[in-house]
Amino acid sequence: MAAPDHRIIRNRRFTRRVLMLGAGQLGLFGVLGWRLRQLQVLEAPKYALLAEENRINIQLMAPSRGLIFDRFGKPVASNADAMRVFIVPDLSNDIEYSLRQLNGVIPIPDRVAERVLRLARRQSSYIPIVVADDLSWQQFAQVNVLAPSLPGVQTDILSVRQYHDGKDMAHIVGYVGAADTAEVNEDPVTRLPGFRVGKSGVELGFERKLRGKAGIIKLEVDARGRAIRKLDTLQSQQGRELVLTIDQEIQNKAMVRLEGLRRAAVVALDARNGEVLVMASTPSFDPNAIISGLKGGQWASMAELEDDPLTNKAIRGQYPPGSTFKMVTALAGLESGLITPKTKFQCYGGFSYSNAYFGCWKKRGHRSVQMRKALKESCDVYFYNVALRIGITKLSAMGRKLGLGQTYEFGMPQQKPGVMPTPGWKRATLGEKWYGGETVIAGIGQGYVLTTPLQLAVMTARIASGREIIPRIVRPEPGEQIESPRKLDIRPEYLELVREGMWAVVNEGGGTAGRARIPIAGVEMAGKTGTSQVNTASSGPHGPLLIWEQRDHALFVGYAPADNPRYAVAAIVEHGGSGSRAAAPVVRDIMTALMERDPVSRPAYVARNDAPRTARHERRRGEG
Amino acid sequence: MSAAGVRADMFAGSLDTPQLNFSEKLLALNWIFIALITALAGVGAAALYSVAGGSLTPWAEAHVIRYCLGLGLLFAVALTDIKVWVRLAYPVYLLALLLLVMVPFLGIESSGAQRWLSLGGVNLQPAELMKVALVLALARYYEWLPPRHISNPLALMVPAVMIGVPVALVVLQPDLGTAVLFAAVGGGMLFLAGASWIYFVFGITGVLGALPFLWNSLYDYQKVRVMTFLDPDKDPLGAGYHILQSKIALGSGGVMGKGYLKGTQSQLDFLPEKHTDFIFTMFAEEMGFVGSLGLLALYLLVLMSIVYMALRCRTQFARLVAAGVGITMFVYVFINVAMVMGLVPVVGVPLPLVSYGGTSMITLMFGFGLVLNAHLHRRTRFRPHEVGVI
Repeated sequence: MAAPDHRIIRNRRFTRRVLMLGAGQLGLFGVLGWRLRQLQVLEAPKYALLAEENRINIQLMAPSRGLIFDRFGKPVASNADAMRVFIVPDLSNDIEYSLRQLNGVIPIPDRVAERVLRLARRQSSYIPIVVADDLSWQQFAQVNVLAPSLPGVQTDILSVRQYHDGKDMAHIVGYVGAADTAEVNEDPVTRLPGFRVGKSGVELGFERKLRGKAGIIKLEVDARGRAIRKLDTLQSQQGRELVLTIDQEIQNKAMVRLEGLRRAAVVALDARNGEVLVMASTPSFDPNAIISGLKGGQWASMAELEDDPLTNKAIRGQYPPGSTFKMVTALAGLESGLITPKTKFQCYGGFSYSNAYFGCWKKRGHRSVQMRKALKESCDVYFYNVALRIGITKLSAMGRKLGLGQTYEFGMPQQKPGVMPTPGWKRATLGEKWYGGETVIAGIGQGYVLTTPLQLAVMTARIASGREIIPRIVRPEPGEQIESPRKLDIRPEYLELVREGMWAVVNEGGGTAGRARIPIAGVEMAGKTGTSQVNTASSGPHGPLLIWEQRDHALFVGYAPADNPRYAVAAIVEHGGSGSRAAAPVVRDIMTALMERDPVSRPAYVARNDAPRTARHERRRGEG
Repeated sequence: MSAAGVRADMFAGSLDTPQLNFSEKLLALNWIFIALITALAGVGAAALYSVAGGSLTPWAEAHVIRYCLGLGLLFAVALTDIKVWVRLAYPVYLLALLLLVMVPFLGIESSGAQRWLSLGGVNLQPAELMKVALVLALARYYEWLPPRHISNPLALMVPAVMIGVPVALVVLQPDLGTAVLFAAVGGGMLFLAGASWIYFVFGITGVLGALPFLWNSLYDYQKVRVMTFLDPDKDPLGAGYHILQSKIALGSGGVMGKGYLKGTQSQLDFLPEKHTDFIFTMFAEEMGFVGSLGLLALYLLVLMSIVYMALRCRTQFARLVAAGVGITMFVYVFINVAMVMGLVPVVGVPLPLVSYGGTSMITLMFGFGLVLNAHLHRRTRFRPHEVGVI
């Protein structure tokens, strides 16, 4: 009876094993339960957070950029809506058909149609192709209404910067452009399509104020990123309004006055507080052309233009100041105590120093010269002697005290500092030792000495006011406290002597700038001419016979009224020849315009930043 | 005819059990079990209603209809005389095998695998039929095999081939999940049938030893799935995306869940395949730890009642059929739930009776019909000629 035994063994074995299997199943379900506890109980907070991150999408709303006005509230930069229509090839089965249909609504030139078709062939079909970006409201509305019958055609509204009197103000206001990587990392709102940040001028210098604060929309989105509902909204804040110190009307007069000169710059300051009233640089450019998207090639050719229209020569042009520097030499001499107002030097038309001969502009010589006469007649030999007596270090120090050789933090980016040379500076930059002859020519603003027109205007304002004038380009906001400039650390009687000399330059017979007299009764200007050699090798005759590049730079600095200075002006005409002929009339005309209009005596516009306002054009951007 | 004659007639079909008429049979069915699986299908319908964002269409309604049709199949299978299934076991297996062989030649290719066969306008998955056929055939074999030969190596060769051939065929399709299922069910049934421990020790060692070789023979997408399983966070937007989103859904459900129809991961479409393979995740997100433990408990009740029914059967065929279906069910549930929780690699295995899908519903209801059939005929014994070689 072996079989039944086997059968019983088999049956018992089945019972045993099926129970084991059941127990095994129970055990493995235990594993599932344990894992479920781990996920749903122990790690639940972590996953809840991840689920929220999945679900909630934060979208930024671009703030509207702050407006810029001139001193009297004339709009300089504002925002306009660009209503655009574009085609997404992927959504249109037949682009040519879509274009033909669209052509019935808005005119599409053949040239544009060809460009759209070419782009559609070349790039990914998901990338929208702009067909027109200057629709009128009516066209925009029509396209939107007809959109269902225009496959692949979409519209949007973009905020674009608009510059008024663009060419006049281009160098001051600058322009905007797409953010670069560093800017994007700093503020995510700059990543929004169409968002623009300042790239130069005040637009760049006051970027923080102008940008405003992004609005935030919290959206619940699905896995494809489609918005399901809005959870929360925080309105964006428009950027702050800026009121420039510039008087657009006189700025325009200055730009017109400079027309016809190849490269020139003028800066006019309020001599008492440093407010910049005019900052003109020619040639200029139209910032509207730049932001509406110059193609790469046009950019390059524009930037390479010989006369450098993109460069603001008022702050980036560095020129030897020539004789306009002589006030620095004079004050340095007086302050050093080595020169007195009565100190006399003999001018016989030149000066010898260690085997070199330095000529005076007046070959016949000025004979016995004291300070007042030296300034009035611009005697080179006098200042050679002063410079040599006090040394280059004291000379440079006075230059700095009067605002030269430095940049000012007043919101104008990309300034050049110029050069106030010292032996240490020469060693550091050129690796050479300083020679006495270099001190001699530094005394008349030649050699290594370099200044910008803005610096010369500041210098003039400092001499005129006796105060440490610092330029300002934006009017103070209501309630903003502005420190009045400190007194210069120069004895007032020395300053008065220099001013007297500058007055004589313009107003006394024999002065070098009789041409600069203002044609207004009772208003006198004080000033100083400068004619700086560009190429020391060709110290030939000045004059119109020379080819342009070899002619001297013409400079003039001046302030008015001489007895109670309100305006300080500096001008440079590159390769203009003599300062008295080319630059002095420019300053005279601008000064005349300033005196006639007298902008600093009129009430200025006040920005309306006090009331917390939100942007008028809230717009969602960067969906998806 | 005498009364005794009538009784003898009644016993003509089987040895110990009286022949029951239709209504008696219907009453004798394990109604508790039917209630349990109906509850599962109900959970499925509720979950599918939520998957559709609170809509009967396209899934919940169809699911219920399919389940009702499945119940019809279940009753038909359960109420058929068990000897019919004994007799049909091998032919069904051979048919399934034939169809499986035809797949590489006549199959329809979809997403890189050939699994479907189109015969006379009807699309079917031979592997699904094989899931039932393999259980039947193995049970049938051990019903025939004299108990003393159970651990005889030669006697083991036959079931080994019966399991090995379909495994090889589905691996070729390629369908790794089904291959694992066949191997697990086949191995489990050999174990229950009483084969010596030694074979399982060798078998498992052998599989482990062959793993490196198996790895090399995997298709790239299968390798990616395994690699993804091992480190899902490495590539959260690529291959690991599904499993990561599934874990986020599960975890964010917490203890009490986000509430019915309120699962953000599910409703906002972060979950993939949530009406089929990932429906457990969806359920767990909305019903929380408590709800998902409840669902697991329901499955455990079904599995334990299958074990109970298998224990009560007298014949090797009946108990092995019941237990075999139980193993199939278990493997489905375990692989599916372990997969969505990131415990095993992603393989396309549905959650029985809850996932949406007609094919697996038919297979399962057929299987449950066999379980109920075995339970109904638990006292039935077979005469020798009824369980011959063929």
